[in-house]
Amino acid sequence: MLRNLAREFLARESTPRAVRAALLEPRGFSDATWQQMAEMGLPGLAIDAGYGGQGLGMIELALVLDEMGRAAYPGPYFASTVLAASVIAASGHDNQMARYLPDLAHGRMRATLALIEDAPLWTPSGVKMLAERRGDGFVLSGVKRLVPFAEAADLVLVAARTGDGADGTTVFAIPSDSPGLSMTPNVEMDRTNRTSTVIFEGVVVGSDAVVGEIGRGWSVVGPALRRAAVGAAAEMLGASRRCLEMSVEYAKVRQQFGQPIGMFQAVKHMCAEMLLEVENAHAAVYYAAWALDAGSPDAPLAVAAAKGYVSDASRKVCGSAIQVHGGIGFTWEYDLHLYFKRAKHFEPLYGDADFHREQALQLMLERASASEATKEPALAS
Amino acid sequence: MDLNYSPEDEGFRERVRRWFAEHPPGALDTLEQKKAWQRKLYEAGFVGMGWPREYGGQDARPMEQAIVAEEMAAADVPGAINSLALGLIGPTLIVHGTDEQKRRYLQRMLTAEEIWCQLYSEPDSGSDLASLKTSAVREGDHWSINGQKVWTSLGSYAAFGILLARTKPNVPKHQGISYFILDMRTQGVEVRPLKQITGSSEFAEVFFTNVKVPAENIIGQEGQGWELAQTTLGYERGGSVLARVTRHQANMRRLIEVARALRRDGQPALEDPLVRQKLGRMVVEVEVLRYTGFRILSKLEQGTRPGPESSVDKLYYSELDKRHQELVQDILGPFGQLEKGLPKELALNSSTMRGDDSTWAYNFLWSRAGTIYAGSSEIQKNIIGERVLKLPREPRADRATPSSTGG
Repeated sequence: MLRNLAREFLARESTPRAVRAALLEPRGFSDATWQQMAEMGLPGLAIDAGYGGQGLGMIELALVLDEMGRAAYPGPYFASTVLAASVIAASGHDNQMARYLPDLAHGRMRATLALIEDAPLWTPSGVKMLAERRGDGFVLSGVKRLVPFAEAADLVLVAARTGDGADGTTVFAIPSDSPGLSMTPNVEMDRTNRTSTVIFEGVVVGSDAVVGEIGRGWSVVGPALRRAAVGAAAEMLGASRRCLEMSVEYAKVRQQFGQPIGMFQAVKHMCAEMLLEVENAHAAVYYAAWALDAGSPDAPLAVAAAKGYVSDASRKVCGSAIQVHGGIGFTWEYDLHLYFKRAKHFEPLYGDADFHREQALQLMLERASASEATKEPALAS
Repeated sequence: MDLNYSPEDEGFRERVRRWFAEHPPGALDTLEQKKAWQRKLYEAGFVGMGWPREYGGQDARPMEQAIVAEEMAAADVPGAINSLALGLIGPTLIVHGTDEQKRRYLQRMLTAEEIWCQLYSEPDSGSDLASLKTSAVREGDHWSINGQKVWTSLGSYAAFGILLARTKPNVPKHQGISYFILDMRTQGVEVRPLKQITGSSEFAEVFFTNVKVPAENIIGQEGQGWELAQTTLGYERGGSVLARVTRHQANMRRLIEVARALRRDGQPALEDPLVRQKLGRMVVEVEVLRYTGFRILSKLEQGTRPGPESSVDKLYYSELDKRHQELVQDILGPFGQLEKGLPKELALNSSTMRGDDSTWAYNFLWSRAGTIYAGSSEIQKNIIGERVLKLPREPRADRATPSSTGG
């Protein structure tokens, strides 16, 4: 149902022609499309109904992101709905949620998360930018890189260091027009995902800007990163689906040596392997989404498996798509590169395949030592 | 989408787990011991679970079959020996057999009183099975069989075999094949164990010289053999899906212990980032196998028969096994190749309930079979490409050609 709704909407509003037009907009997306999405309730899909959202879960969010990847929808949906809203929802503080979530849910406000500094690390140790106490508030100075759709954001959530220890980070919600805050847009290989460098030069905030708790920033960033990892996997899955669809269609009509190239086993088998990867990626994404929604003890491993698997799978599928297409797939004019780059964009984000393989192993080792401790004598022999 | 086991399922799992804890199989070296173990499993209700009740099964849900298979794998006990009869031959008889055939054979499949083998592949007919040449010629009240089969699992143990033979040589090759029940003790049947690269003999070659098969032993109609052999019969499918995952997980847990014991550059191999990446890859890929298993299982639970997309499943798990056994060998280095002489702390299994010792080396060699048997990876990719993705079929020279002009 939701998938059909999202697919029909994006088929209408995010055609390759519309995508290319949106990329020429100053901030890289169409405001009109965003307004329509807001009317459909998409920005509030996974926000609690008590804060103006639809109260749905990660499964529904994954369905929409899957379709957005398939359509290469350019816009701040991921940044605002998956990253920023998840951080705020993870705070569990009613006053913080009531302050931001209704506006985010209705699409009246857009937010983003400024996390990465000089190195893409997905642990608290990557956060070095300082937030120094001044009176009741804080002063922030530093540089955040690769901030998604910062130019489209009214609110920037930023993780900064307020102390030492295993965490020692604090998340602040800062209006993007605050004095001392400036941004410089990057040019991304994937034009459908804009990013900026955001510079904080003595930005002064009150203590009410804190999201979550002081010195425990990772307790709101961590859960958001897990959702973002599954969301990114869903995006890569969608882009891979499109690449597979285009390749199969092309292999049926492109003639060489007097026959459709799809008749040759070299091409046919490549397409078969692409389908296998898409099917596996589908199973991994939706299992992880289900596990997060159900609060299953499986969830951390499922998230690592999903992002770890799909990062590699989408690389293979989208790369094979260019190979199946041959020369035409290497042109700017043909649309295939939109989806190829879309998938590539999410590959290193929120933990690449190496990162998540290591996570998966660690979780397996923890599980093994836990079951060792509780082993029943009858099964121990 | 609900992937939780229900409380009933969990209760059932508890009972199954307890049964296996209380009934270790003991030594299973001889055929009689293996048959007795299946009989015990049958009496406990764990054999032919998905078969219809009227033929000795329990109409069990795929989920229940999966739970039993998972618990068997977790307890590291072997399954029923009559695996082909239970998974494939019995269900074929249930759908296509005569009442007489069902009465005669089905019950004894379940109790392992009679072991069955499948006489399909021939030396010149592997991937192109329909080109098979073993002939069946009608002579009065019987058929006379001549030819040779190869890669016959359980061939050395079997009392009966299901046989594909050519009954009409002058029609296109898919149309001239019939399906027979063969008593392996009939005069003219010769079984020779086939020694594989593992050094063991799980398969046999079977030769037929003027073997007489009674006319009533045909299954279905004359010429219907190919169609029957193509039918996917799903009674026991629920079982295999997750058991494979559990066995992989058990092996992986053992590999992690071994990587802790094995030293590399003065530290446990488990602390080497390269080794960790390999192990992490295995964890991720086996998890994904588990999730695809849940997908298949929930389709089966809804009553959907798996179609050509089951080729995706077969392609993934067989290639995965091959890839993982290579990673095991990478991690263990030269120790991985030892069939004997491996220090106990590095061995795959020092104390299985079975008592037999499988080795990393054996598993490595055996993984090469998976991408060949039951339709090679290349055949699976053809099926996926042509029947799922609907890519144009390759032009083939043999489609309309009678088999007698060369298969």
